Amino acid sequence: MVLPHMDAAYNLARWLTRNDQDARDVVQEAALRAYRFLDGLRGDAKPWFLTLVRNACMSWLKANRPAELTSMDPLAPELQLIEEETPETLALRALDRRMLNEALAALPAQFREVLILRELEDLPYQDIARITGAPIGTVMSRLSRARRLLAESLRAITRASEVRQ
Amino acid sequence: MNRDEAGKKISAAIRAHADYHAAPASLAADVMAALPVEEESPQRPRWQRWLAQGAAMAGVALVTWAATMGYLRPGEDERRADEILASHVGATLGKRLIQVASSDQHTVKPWLSARLAYSPPVADLSAQGFELLGARLDHIAGQPVAVLVYKRRQHLIDAYIRPARGDVKASESKRDGFNLSRFTAGEMDFWLVSDLNRNELDDLAHLLSALR
Repeated sequence: MVLPHMDAAYNLARWLTRNDQDARDVVQEAALRAYRFLDGLRGDAKPWFLTLVRNACMSWLKANRPAELTSMDPLAPELQLIEEETPETLALRALDRRMLNEALAALPAQFREVLILRELEDLPYQDIARITGAPIGTVMSRLSRARRLLAESLRAITRASEVRQ
Repeated sequence: MNRDEAGKKISAAIRAHADYHAAPASLAADVMAALPVEEESPQRPRWQRWLAQGAAMAGVALVTWAATMGYLRPGEDERRADEILASHVGATLGKRLIQVASSDQHTVKPWLSARLAYSPPVADLSAQGFELLGARLDHIAGQPVAVLVYKRRQHLIDAYIRPARGDVKASESKRDGFNLSRFTAGEMDFWLVSDLNRNELDDLAHLLSALR
């Protein structure tokens, strides 16, 4: 039941822990829990299993990277966003893969996870809400905020690299 | 550029450029290895899993009854489908998925024939995109049944094969998100079950029904 979702589970765990070995451990743990708590399964197995994976990631972050979770406070992510959305600011054409991956990895966990689930797993809002334990409205606003944060951080990276050159 | 467009652009960029970390092949094996070892008896663990399944639970009492009532009662196909689905789900989760791991039909077929009163058709269909991972024996309605295990991308497909008895209506159904296909070919009764999409499952059905 969980084997078909191994890639999705590992991808999420890898992006949240940012480490191969820890991602493996977290997925292993979640799979064991899935096996033990199969009676908790209602409906689609994928969001159910990803919920277990996500929770295992959160426990792991709490134990090993507590600093990353401080921004989970709803008041904390009041990061200053530059609102000028001119074409120049979205330097996506110049964007390279490495930069994007670095910027994504640097996002706070709560924004990273919604982007991974939405853009890489293509899950509906409803499933993402279930997995992250947040209301759908929060998921949607978190997503749009995550995209803006990412755009902003890409702009910063691009500018920094231009200055260096 | 308004915010919507910017969001779409970022969204497209992530989809196109962000790394997708597929699970290493060894991870699935490690997960399987870490699951509790099942008892030797082929029946009990499956019962326990059914109990844990909840959704499949209604089938349990009926299955025993159906086994004693013989084949081809009205509604029996329904129960058989439930039972096969429960077996498939239990097998993909537990350790019993594959008992003989080989893509070589000359290994798999004799292994099955030695344990059954019939010899099911076996073929690796990797060339057509369905890799034969191996086979196992399962029990459906108290009878041993050959199960070929195929893989298509990340999807596992179980093909339950037993001798056809009486008239069998070909059928397709979807249960709990799994697709099922039933058909007969060459005196064999086939049930396919997988979370694979319907079209690709039909492709496999066509390939299998052409085997002799």
